[in-house]
Amino acid sequence: MMNFKLVVPLATSLLATGAHANTEIIGNVDSKCIIVSETPGVYGNPNPYQLTTAPTSGGVKPIIRYDVLVADYYKAVIDHPIEFSSAPSLDDVVNWTGDVTVSEVSDTNMSDYDTNKVEYNNSHEYELTVSGSTWFTVSSTADYGSTKSFPAGTYTAVVEAECIPL
Amino acid sequence: MKKLLWAVALLLLWPSYSYSEEVYGSTNNAAQTGLNWVMTNILPEFAGLEVNGLVYQYTAVKDPETDMIVYVQNEYADGNGYIFRNADDWSGLPGNTINKAFVFPNLSAELWGPGSIEVDGEGSVVDPSVIYTYKYDTCFDPQADPSCPGYEEPVVVPEIEIYDPLQDDLVLEQLEQKAQLDQEEEEEDRKRRQRENAIQNALENLLSDGGNPGLIDPVAEALALALTSKVLPTTYYGTIEGGEYLESLVLDGGDIQDNRKARRSNLAQQLLHQQMVNSQYELNQQETK
Repeated sequence: MMNFKLVVPLATSLLATGAHANTEIIGNVDSKCIIVSETPGVYGNPNPYQLTTAPTSGGVKPIIRYDVLVADYYKAVIDHPIEFSSAPSLDDVVNWTGDVTVSEVSDTNMSDYDTNKVEYNNSHEYELTVSGSTWFTVSSTADYGSTKSFPAGTYTAVVEAECIPL
Repeated sequence: MKKLLWAVALLLLWPSYSYSEEVYGSTNNAAQTGLNWVMTNILPEFAGLEVNGLVYQYTAVKDPETDMIVYVQNEYADGNGYIFRNADDWSGLPGNTINKAFVFPNLSAELWGPGSIEVDGEGSVVDPSVIYTYKYDTCFDPQADPSCPGYEEPVVVPEIEIYDPLQDDLVLEQLEQKAQLDQEEEEEDRKRRQRENAIQNALENLLSDGGNPGLIDPVAEALALALTSKVLPTTYYGTIEGGEYLESLVLDGGDIQDNRKARRSNLAQQLLHQQMVNSQYELNQQETK
């Protein structure tokens, strides 16, 4: 009988002092900046030593679309290629040139993105100050050696496009 | 399983099996041939067609320093304003290719009037592309297809030969005769009125004041008399002999006797009358007393 009396308050005490709760707060953040690869690029081979995306040389310029839902919160950084991601074995230097331009806009105020862009190395940085879609066209040319022929095979290069929150 | 297949086959082949389908599509480039276009030449002719979207693209060629506004627009079909109008303000900006998409709440094709791309300012538009998206119901008109819900078999109306009496020779002949008779009658009326007028005029002349200078002139009087004698019956102007016409008929005197029936009737009436008078008389006598 005595044990029971002790036990009950003890048990109660244990319950009272041990009560606590953890409540989770879950938040989902959807990206407000979406990058879509609209057109894959193709290298043309107008000269044995050259690979280029110029349409006049049989190439196709890749097009990347940025969809920005909220203005002034993101910047786009696009790197034109400076190396092949896959290629036959090369024993000479490849000289890379390239550029990125705004080829299409969904708002007239995006048309000065090119004027305001910042370039360093092979990177092209754009402040996305207007919401909407912006299409960027990348051009790339690879010259092998001075005028050395590229070995036969498949050459692949990658354009890197990032959307960086400010 | 076999039963199920039979049921599906039966359902597909059943004459009353009906369905309607919403078809979605897009037009060709409306600005292919110029910056102005007519919607009836762009949208397909399907009953109940509705426009639910528009995508346009063009390249603005301009000096970044200049001002330029480009309007992509469609008027209302009744000309009362714009059903769609979007302005791209390129003022102070370099030119570029612009691409825009719009969604509409299924606006009937009948509402859409002429479309255009209008440039206000310095610059030009090249490579324009305007594409409309649309949808329509294949059974918007249930009678369009027997498979549509609500389709009703058209009632075959028997061909009825229509009798046109105006093409019947006999009727035409009768009408012609009647017209001729009417014409004759009218001519007769006209002549009669003319004759009556002539008579009236002649009578007026004849009965007019003697001071009328036209009648005082013997020649004119003779002419008037001649005219009168020509159009008036002789009794109008013939001389009636004067004198006294004495009564030539002589009646013999005497009483004309009533016949028996009349006598009886008269007698009965007389008797009644006498009784009535007598009764009044007697009544007066009593009151006097």
